Amino acid sequence: MRRYAKFLVGAGILVAVLGVLIVNLNDNLVYFQTPTEVVERPAGDARLRLGGQVVPDSVERTATETSFLVTDGRVAVPVRHVGAPPDLFQPGIGVVVEGSWDGETFRSDTMLVKHDENYSPEDPERPFTSP
Amino acid sequence: MSQPTAPSSPSRGRVVVAVLAVLAAAVLAGVSPADAVQGELVRIMYVHVPAAWLAYLAFVVTLVGSVGYLVTRRFVFDRLAEASAEVGVYFTGLAIALGMIWAKPTWGVWWTWDARLTLTAIMFFVYLGYLALRRATAEPAVRARRAAVLGILGVVQIPLVHFSVVWWRTLHQPPTLIKPDKPSIEGTMLMALLAGIAAFTVVYGLLVARRMELARLEADLAAAEASLDRPVAGSAVTAPELGEAR
Repeated sequence: MRRYAKFLVGAGILVAVLGVLIVNLNDNLVYFQTPTEVVERPAGDARLRLGGQVVPDSVERTATETSFLVTDGRVAVPVRHVGAPPDLFQPGIGVVVEGSWDGETFRSDTMLVKHDENYSPEDPERPFTSP
Repeated sequence: MSQPTAPSSPSRGRVVVAVLAVLAAAVLAGVSPADAVQGELVRIMYVHVPAAWLAYLAFVVTLVGSVGYLVTRRFVFDRLAEASAEVGVYFTGLAIALGMIWAKPTWGVWWTWDARLTLTAIMFFVYLGYLALRRATAEPAVRARRAAVLGILGVVQIPLVHFSVVWWRTLHQPPTLIKPDKPSIEGTMLMALLAGIAAFTVVYGLLVARRMELARLEADLAAAEASLDRPVAGSAVTAPELGEAR
């Protein structure tokens, strides 16, 4: 019986540690903030990750920068990304940009594309360039 | 001690089934259409998802073997847990490697510390630790008992890994197949994915069966070596020759 008691104590400690970790790390487990959240919580000069969909028709490219709006369906944040975006970057796709506020614009130096979990063949009516 | 028996070779039928399943999955993955967003890159999914699925399956089988051993104390369950954990660690590593190859051209990075990737890496190292624990314990019954405890506790990670993409905001996309709604994938692509999962599972079954057989032979060998006639301690010492001293 002692063996099972020891096992239960060990399992209990493990579950407790996991629980504490998950509750305390909850903010860190969130990989990015939504446009609504970043507008509500002023971050000053702190670096943060902003994630959402690229608003179609908002993308403007120059030689070194890409400007576009990132939205969560409620709020749209203007983003100015310095550097080349990933190959899959396109209007309407999900992105996570990393950087900080530059006035009213979010200035990003790192961009990741967040594709969704839906898979469908290429639409024959929409020309697609293979990445 | 059980009488050592000859190793059994894998039945030819099972190998043929595995080869056919892999070939069918490869053909389906090849003929399925390119994705609207990802293009040809989507085909990495047909190996990445099956590898990740096998990681889950393998560690659940390790749980079954661990519980089975603690309840019955029969070593066949311990061998099942060990074999499945070894194959599971291999497929977890494969899923991580294939995921990195998929992530670089789609997300733009090889690796990032989002919840799904981090928890998967932790699961990989916990089960590497499980294998290390087995090698660190020589006595079979003690080894089986300690490994069984870790084999049971480790399985907590599977729901954490799988639902991390639902519970927390991650870069990794949420599940396509195992979720409340119906799968969000076109029919031919779904077929290719399911064929990949089936083929990987057949291969997993073959690998676990072979590994269990190997574990049984190792146990027989250890038992046979332990029972061999060995020189008695001190037999190398010869009596001193004292000569003619009187």
